[in-house]
Amino acid sequence: MVHQKSILAVPKGRILKELMPLLQACGIRPEADFSDENSRKLRFSTNHDTLDIIRVRAFDVATFVAYGGAHMGVVGTDVLEEFGYEDLYAPLDLNIGRCRLSAAAPAEEARREKSARQSHIRVATKYPALTARHFARQGIQAECIRLNGAMEIAPALGLAPWIVDLVSSGETLKANQLVEVETLLEVTSKLIVNRTALKTNAPALNAWIQEFQKA
Amino acid sequence: MTDKNITLLPSGFTDLLPPEAEREARAVHVLMSLFSAFGYERVKPPLAEFEDSLLAPGPGAALSAETFRLMDPLSHRMLAVRSDLTAQIARISTLRLADEERPLRLAYANDVLRTRGSQQRTERQFCKAGCEIIGGDGEDSTTEICVLALLGLERLGFAEVTLDLTVPRFADHLLAPLDLKDGARAEIRHALSHKDFGALKAFGSAMSSLFSPLTGKAGDAPALLEILRAMPLPPAARADAQRLEAVYERVRAAASDLGFSGVSVSIDPLETRGFDYQSGVAFGLYAPGAAGALGRGGGYDVRSCVDEALVERATGFTLYMDTVRKAMPPLPEERKILAVGPDAPWAEILALQAEGWIVRRALDGMEAPGCTHQYTAGTIETITSHSGKKS
Repeated sequence: MVHQKSILAVPKGRILKELMPLLQACGIRPEADFSDENSRKLRFSTNHDTLDIIRVRAFDVATFVAYGGAHMGVVGTDVLEEFGYEDLYAPLDLNIGRCRLSAAAPAEEARREKSARQSHIRVATKYPALTARHFARQGIQAECIRLNGAMEIAPALGLAPWIVDLVSSGETLKANQLVEVETLLEVTSKLIVNRTALKTNAPALNAWIQEFQKA
Repeated sequence: MTDKNITLLPSGFTDLLPPEAEREARAVHVLMSLFSAFGYERVKPPLAEFEDSLLAPGPGAALSAETFRLMDPLSHRMLAVRSDLTAQIARISTLRLADEERPLRLAYANDVLRTRGSQQRTERQFCKAGCEIIGGDGEDSTTEICVLALLGLERLGFAEVTLDLTVPRFADHLLAPLDLKDGARAEIRHALSHKDFGALKAFGSAMSSLFSPLTGKAGDAPALLEILRAMPLPPAARADAQRLEAVYERVRAAASDLGFSGVSVSIDPLETRGFDYQSGVAFGLYAPGAAGALGRGGGYDVRSCVDEALVERATGFTLYMDTVRKAMPPLPEERKILAVGPDAPWAEILALQAEGWIVRRALDGMEAPGCTHQYTAGTIETITSHSGKKS
């Protein structure tokens, strides 16, 4: 059987910093350009002939792996739950990128919601599917306004009284006079694997999963 | 706002043009000839049936959410447009062909319609081609079905194929003796289907150690079979493991007998995804680079539509022809198209076709377009330039 090259998709930013020591422990050393923030390259070779790395947005990691463009990836459970891709395996919790996905609102709104449950609320979020599912379980129809960042400003500017966003320290919420009301999801990053890739190239991918497990 | 765009097709519907339509038709022909050579007979069920019969418990009910319904103005009953063929084959075999001797071998190639595409397959209409054995899903039947799947893909030119064996109910059988709440069972199943073994820790150390021997070995048949032999298993799971091993050995022997060097037979006993109604030994077919599985198959229950107490075992497989077509290597062919005048004698045209030419006649003052050669009164000349497009 032909030796296939595997591609690992990793997210830019916060999670990547925590991931670097893990990669090192797995004996994966990306080429020099990889740690250069200004590099225009998107695909990087490593010290392994059979492994390349691509660096993409966190949300796109799941997409690249789901469609088989990349064979493995590192992605938060927030993204996995939002997309619910069917053709992914998530065999390993890497215990990095810990935070939580929470619903927050100005103190007054939060109180009102607790006292008299509304049938409909408006939420600014990057996670419309997760948000709608969460509120639907409480019998609330969530109308989601999709934002890609700076969710915390949405209530003050009248876009939506509620937000659903990642929270780690809670400082950003406080600075914008928002109260964390409930946690939708505890988030960590997982190693994910494309189904067809695992089926057609099991030895190589199982070996990488084991490396990450040991690291 | 009425924005009528008559150039647009609804999402999930496509026009298949030359040569793609031809490729798919030929692929279907190759498969049907193969099935026919092994004694499978073609059936053609209707496009729509009454909802009650199409979505009866079993293979039909599993796809209920993906099935289009429409109101029948004649009977005032709900009709369902088929989203799969297995349920129809089951109905035919227990009703029209109930008296036929078993095993009954049937083949089909038809389009299905789905209310929504999946992430991998955005198409809502696509062709399924496959065959079924009604009356048994023992080792012999399952092996025959697996070998036909491998033979079919080999004849379509796939150089590398993985046939991944599983028993979709194995995890259920493993969990059956445990005292678990229904919700927990569903969560464990979900975790297993994502190979998320870490999530099992939430159900206690006994749960994670139950599955830990199988962790990280997906696909590695020799290792997994050895582990399964050594594992303490409840009787139903033990039977699953034994059937899995028997089928594995026989399919592998068949593949080496046939000289299939590009075929890997793998095992993944905890794989459940894509197997909504299969309960016996089942399998997925994969090729490197293909978007998702090329097809799936396995053993299942056929409940008689006349008497619910009558249940037969059956097995079969289906190929998703859209995925197959896209992943298939191009058919090796040199297009040799001969242009002839409108008055060329018909007998001469047939003689040229018998030699292997495609013959295109010039019509009503228009040249025959897209031809590689020109035939004039017994002589054939190469056409040097043609665009094949309207100028």
